[in-house]
Amino acid sequence: MSTDAARPDAADEGGALAPWVGGYLRDHAIHIAVVAFFIVYPFLYDVLVGQFGLPAEMLLPRLQTMLVVLWLGLFAMSFDFISGYTGYLSFGHAAFFGIGAYTVVLGANGQLPLLPGGLSFMTLMLVSALLAVVVAFLIGLVSFRLSGVYFAMITLGFAEIMYVASRNWDWLTPGQSDPSDGINTPAEFNPELGVPFVDPLQVETGVFGDDAILGINFGDLLVYNENLGAIVASYFAIGAVVLVCYLAMQRIIHSPFGRVMIAIRENEERAKAIGYDTFKFKLGAFMISAFFGAVAGALLVAYRGSVNPDAAFFFLVTGFALVAAIIGGLGTLAGPFFGYIFLEGIEEFLARGGSGGGLQPFLAEFLPGGILETTIGGDLTISGALDAFMTGHGEFYAGIIFVIFVLYVPIGILGTLRLWLGTDSVATYVSRRLGGFTAPAGGSGDGGDSGAGKSATAAGSVTAEGGEEDAPREGGGPAEGGE
Amino acid sequence: MSFLELEGVQTYYGQSHILQGVDLEVTEGEVVALLGRNGVGKTTTIRSILQLTPPRSGDVRFRGESLVGKDTHEVAEAGIGWIPEGRRMFARLSVEENLRAAVPNATDVDEALGTAYDTFPILHERQGQRAGTLSGGQQQMLAIARGLIGDNDLLLIDEPSEGLAPQIVSDVGRALLSASQEVSILLVEQKLSLALDLADRFYVMDHGTIIDSGETADVTAGDERLRRHLSA
Amino acid sequence: MIEHLLILGDLLDLFTSPGRLIAVLIEGLAKASLYVMIASGLTLIFGLMDVINFAHGAFTMYGAYMAGGLILAVGAAEMGFAMVVVVFLLVMLTIFLVLALIGTVMEVSLVRRLYEYPPIFQILLTFGIAITLEEFMRMFVEFQGINNGQYRFGWETPRLETVPTALRGATDIGLIRFENIHVLEILLGVVTVVAIWAFLNRTRYGLFVRAGVEDEEMAAALGINVKQTFTVVFAIGSGIAGAAGVILMWDPLWSVSVPLALAVLLPAFVIVIVGGLGSFKGTVVASLLVGMIDAFGTWAFQTGAITFTGIDDLMIFGILVVMLILQPRGLFGVEGQGDHG
Repeated sequence: MSTDAARPDAADEGGALAPWVGGYLRDHAIHIAVVAFFIVYPFLYDVLVGQFGLPAEMLLPRLQTMLVVLWLGLFAMSFDFISGYTGYLSFGHAAFFGIGAYTVVLGANGQLPLLPGGLSFMTLMLVSALLAVVVAFLIGLVSFRLSGVYFAMITLGFAEIMYVASRNWDWLTPGQSDPSDGINTPAEFNPELGVPFVDPLQVETGVFGDDAILGINFGDLLVYNENLGAIVASYFAIGAVVLVCYLAMQRIIHSPFGRVMIAIRENEERAKAIGYDTFKFKLGAFMISAFFGAVAGALLVAYRGSVNPDAAFFFLVTGFALVAAIIGGLGTLAGPFFGYIFLEGIEEFLARGGSGGGLQPFLAEFLPGGILETTIGGDLTISGALDAFMTGHGEFYAGIIFVIFVLYVPIGILGTLRLWLGTDSVATYVSRRLGGFTAPAGGSGDGGDSGAGKSATAAGSVTAEGGEEDAPREGGGPAEGGE
Repeated sequence: MSFLELEGVQTYYGQSHILQGVDLEVTEGEVVALLGRNGVGKTTTIRSILQLTPPRSGDVRFRGESLVGKDTHEVAEAGIGWIPEGRRMFARLSVEENLRAAVPNATDVDEALGTAYDTFPILHERQGQRAGTLSGGQQQMLAIARGLIGDNDLLLIDEPSEGLAPQIVSDVGRALLSASQEVSILLVEQKLSLALDLADRFYVMDHGTIIDSGETADVTAGDERLRRHLSA
Repeated sequence: MIEHLLILGDLLDLFTSPGRLIAVLIEGLAKASLYVMIASGLTLIFGLMDVINFAHGAFTMYGAYMAGGLILAVGAAEMGFAMVVVVFLLVMLTIFLVLALIGTVMEVSLVRRLYEYPPIFQILLTFGIAITLEEFMRMFVEFQGINNGQYRFGWETPRLETVPTALRGATDIGLIRFENIHVLEILLGVVTVVAIWAFLNRTRYGLFVRAGVEDEEMAAALGINVKQTFTVVFAIGSGIAGAAGVILMWDPLWSVSVPLALAVLLPAFVIVIVGGLGSFKGTVVASLLVGMIDAFGTWAFQTGAITFTGIDDLMIFGILVVMLILQPRGLFGVEGQGDHG
């Protein structure tokens, strides 16, 4: 490591700023970088696709896809929060996603008992999340007496009951349409996300929503795709909610509560023996994950304005959160989010959905007509085969990728990164490396406390990677007395 | 050519280094006792021979042929039988089915069964009964019968007297003694008197290695030499 | 209030008219037969290997499609009743063998790599395989649609074209009325149960399987080739899953479609869990239980006592939840199985 030489001058620069700002930025360096990337992405996409056309369109995920990934990724993170950290596979997690989505839609339709009509979206989202917490409490009360396959199956059972109900219960659709087709919010319902009581920071989401935030019009900022302004505005508004949810979950995991969750996963008997009432901790973690799962469902409605059973309570909603969690890394929290981006990106590349992107239009455009018209067998041409096998059917490729991951990268992308870096989280690693460059050992220790819990200890010992690695495990049987 | 031979066997359970270089030998026709306190690696030694927990380094040879890397069933086919700690009956199978399962590759199962029933008449009486409903002593007899019926040349016997009443222990001892006329035995046994009665030689284990060995004729159960290593 | 009286009246009616009661019982038996066929492969595999095979439903769906294709290709639609049934049984045997082969390949090439891992990884693996297989079939089917008219048969309709007229209607004998196809289903269900029972209890391999279910290490140490036993059981379990698809293809309530995979998988899980993981006896009893409840639910719906259309699915998962709350190990489950991962 070349940190020793760099340290003195760097310390001076760091000293010019208020110490805690430096410390905070350092602890969240990776977070800031990721958020910055997500902020820049729409404009990057706009410019690249505008400049390079089809090749860029082939390689880059569309903005609509990135938007969908936001709430799906949040849902996958909430799934990981319970399944990856406590080891209890919440196989019916779609229940909470569905509750989130349906509560908002039903609330917008004025169908919720005890609640007045005309509530704002933010209120409905909170109501839906709290309702999910209550449901999680009730489900958890009976389910956490079980473990392993049995826990997975009973949660699946509850979710399937809700799925069947959402398909068949006439009450959901007073207008006499078939409930299995889903339900819409009324035309006058305009979901608005934003900071409560700050008017300029309210954004109406959806395809026909605002295209400006704080007076900044995204339609104008986009050079080539002016018509995508509303999508970009929704992307930022929904992304902000997802970011807040992620930070909240990350904070909980790095708290003593989170350490007990990990202790339960590593060895529940031992956690019990130390004196933790693991049942309460599991139930608590389940309720928290339900909260965020429901927020994710509500965000779906914020953009789509409608919901149907297959997009909400269906078994595969959980199934793909699981796939994303494995690809990204189970028990890494952020991993499932990136897993979803990876998954959707690959799906879009190999099997374009809807209007664009992916390999198929590129090949159709750039392969010479002679090759495209070549017949493979019968009347089937290469062009026809491309249409048949590379349009839609993303799940086919997703399944293959998933199998490859399970066989060869079972700890996922982030998990593998962590293993390589020899650290308990990538964020810690980055801040530790930066810590060596920007601040003397003493000052950063204080600053670190304001950020992610564990990185506080990292600053003092730049080279002590081996010792660091054991830290979370020691934390697994926390000495700080719990509840 | 020696019969069973362990050379520098090192075995891990996950991260835990259990066997830290075990060397021992059993010659044909011999009964060898493996002594030591709880948790020093005696059962792991047996499991390493059977390749249930394959050694990470070192070699296990049977009749000069290395067993390392083989499947457990191949070790069994080579002529090594196992009478495990806790007997491990197939509890929901009948006595007869337990015996049949012990000769998976026999051409004449009925003949093998007949021999077993001659040796252990009590098993014949109870052949239709579920093994899980037998008494402890009967289960031990069945476990021994399972080890003998497979035409094995070497039996690995783990704690045969554990949890049995004294009267039954002597029955088991007699059964083992008669078994030792036909096969070689590597015996793990807490009851020192029983072990020394049956065995020709002994090894003492501690912390995953052999720390002492000798002829049983040279020691008695009360010897300071053994007590030092075996008392808790 | 009036509604409740109606239900009571219907119930009274049901239990005082033996004809109607027997009709419902026969239907329940037929449903139970289908359930036992879709669930027993899953039970066999789980019991021995602790692998919950998520691709099970996909195997059934493949079985159904292949059977539809085969029967149409043979031209069974033009044959007489006896001939169709013979063809049907031959197709069933073929599908059993084909799916057993696919199961063997899958076990040897993929599943086997993960026995050292916690069981969750086998669940994940089979789940990934299931997604891939299902989507592949969807691709294939849509592709067929694109080339419509070029092939001799449409995939949507093998049932309508091939079910012999004799099996389509219902029969009245005295007071009793039953769907003809139910007779075939019950026969097949009984054959399945007897065949599996005989395999487990009357063959040497079955003995190995039962020994392996109880104590894999001990079985191996006695000389049983457990790995090979795994492969055989995985093959048989997959074969049964496929064979079940053949009869589902003819049953009007199931028929052939890609979503059949999930429609089969979830109830099969329920039955396996309710019966007790790994217990074949439990699976048979649970199939009967679920089949009967299903039939009574359908009857209640038909009489109008219940107007909820998803009642049978709702009850199936209701049974699962109630069972897990009251008796987590299922009817005949064994302590310790399925607790981890």
